[in-house]
Amino acid sequence: MSERAVAAALVPGMPQLLAADPAPCWAELAAATREVGDRLRALHVDTVLLLSTQWFTVLGHQVQCDARLRGTRTDENWYRYDYGRLAHDLAVDVELAHAWADAIDAAGMQARRTRYDGFPIDTGTVTASRLLDPDGRGRWAMVSCNLYADPSAMGAVARAGVAAAGHRRVAVVAVSGLSSGLIPRWITPAEDRFENTEHDRWNRKVLDAIRAGDDVGPLTADYARAAQVDAQFRAHAFLTGSGTATGPGEVLAYGPVWGTGAAVVWWPADGRRA
Amino acid sequence: MARVFQVTAGSDRSGQRRPRPGVDNGVDARARRSGIVAGYLAPHPPHLVYAENPPQNEPRSTGGWEVLRWGYEELRRRLRRHRPDVLVVHAPHWITMVGHHVNCVPNPRGISVEPIFPHLFRYHYDFHTDVELAEAIVAEAGASGLVTSALREDGVRVDYATIGALHLANPGWDIPVVSLSANNNPYFYSDASLEEMETLGAATARAIERTGRRAVLLASNSLSHLHWDVEPELPEDMSAEHPFSHAQYAGDMALLQTVREGPTARLQAAIPEHIAATQSETKAGSLTWLLAAMGWPPIAGDVLAYGTVIATGNAVIEWVAQ
Repeated sequence: MSERAVAAALVPGMPQLLAADPAPCWAELAAATREVGDRLRALHVDTVLLLSTQWFTVLGHQVQCDARLRGTRTDENWYRYDYGRLAHDLAVDVELAHAWADAIDAAGMQARRTRYDGFPIDTGTVTASRLLDPDGRGRWAMVSCNLYADPSAMGAVARAGVAAAGHRRVAVVAVSGLSSGLIPRWITPAEDRFENTEHDRWNRKVLDAIRAGDDVGPLTADYARAAQVDAQFRAHAFLTGSGTATGPGEVLAYGPVWGTGAAVVWWPADGRRA
Repeated sequence: MARVFQVTAGSDRSGQRRPRPGVDNGVDARARRSGIVAGYLAPHPPHLVYAENPPQNEPRSTGGWEVLRWGYEELRRRLRRHRPDVLVVHAPHWITMVGHHVNCVPNPRGISVEPIFPHLFRYHYDFHTDVELAEAIVAEAGASGLVTSALREDGVRVDYATIGALHLANPGWDIPVVSLSANNNPYFYSDASLEEMETLGAATARAIERTGRRAVLLASNSLSHLHWDVEPELPEDMSAEHPFSHAQYAGDMALLQTVREGPTARLQAAIPEHIAATQSETKAGSLTWLLAAMGWPPIAGDVLAYGTVIATGNAVIEWVAQ
């Protein structure tokens, strides 16, 4: 059985990263996400265990079991923009998905195997997968983000995924924002910034702790409240629960996307920077 | 045993203030006029659609949540008597992070596979939008200083809160629709600005008046909103259905008592208190929008049913415009 993933990463899920005419910060975040994809390929990752906080659920933990997810995602908020209508074609590692669901059940949680024609793939998953895997050659195992379970449950879900991976070389990726203080207006890319400086301060504080390899856990509850963190920072619980994102993380990019906090962070399995 | 709760539809006090159905609240006894003729709190749990087994929904059930569905049956009877030109619905699961959006697509159709409840809700929808009114709401809301957007692009999946309320109120889908989004971020740290919902409600009312429509409004909100994070093997196993806690139930009853006593102006204070006490889904703003659009009328509401769905509180309520 696999005991650890070969790497872990946090990447944003806002579709602005795919804009034809991006803000400089969006372009930096997109380039950093592509860099994560390059590193995953260099590590010969077989399957990425993926959590997107934009696939949020409330009952159990859904695991995507459809072998091929092809379609076009028209975002319910960003439909007027070029990045609001995104094609996707994702290959799912179905064997691992089922094993992951079994492991979630075995851990005393409730797995829900999801395989439905027309199932809507969330914008975060589509955005991240297109940047991480622009040629569409990767394989994915995807789990939803239960917003009603305790945030620590996502750590147990990640552990179950790594344990279920068997002989595979897997990486763990969470698609999530940081602070969620969106600019509540239509803006041009050049106008993007943190309107809430306290959110920015908290994001930087937490990213500094990640860089230093400090335990972010004790900060999480205060951070989640103070910066209205995306899904109460369940992404971090998922990444640390995998057993991989426990050492110093390399912050490849950080900045605002429509006022929300976004970062790309990389954790190698051996704790050394790439 | 099933623990589904129902309160008597109205109190003696509120009964004196309510128009009598079929006598003086409908077109039977009143000249047909334009404007908002009624508003309903119309909760949208997909379980209620699933339990009904309509042909549009793929999953099959053995029933469940009957008391709430009986409330909707009464809503349907009353709705027909109002003879509306249009149903205007505000729903919390068309989540728009920037602004208040109005669906201006003439004929939305497709399948809505609900990502949270795909085993319960895979609904084939095909309905018609009152585009003139939809555009008028966008214009009025924008003129009121709200950030808005008119959805004119095909391909945006219609959410289950919009479909659920509309199906449960009018399963024949033979009345044109205008659908409004909820302007907030998903879940825990987001609250729609209830002040903005007042503005949106007033803008909606002006647009309805300006276009001469006879409209019924639907606020697609549940009440108390803490709920289970797992599900029984049989989703409609009513032995698993009960309030999340006594506090959640008591919070709902306090709000419903205020509804039944009237006047609606008391709810301007009661709704935020209820949200604080129960995490009520009304924080998405649909109920405030509805009552603001009706001008916070000095009447009581008629509670047609109350019940829980995966522990959330849900009430079907009617307010008839004077």
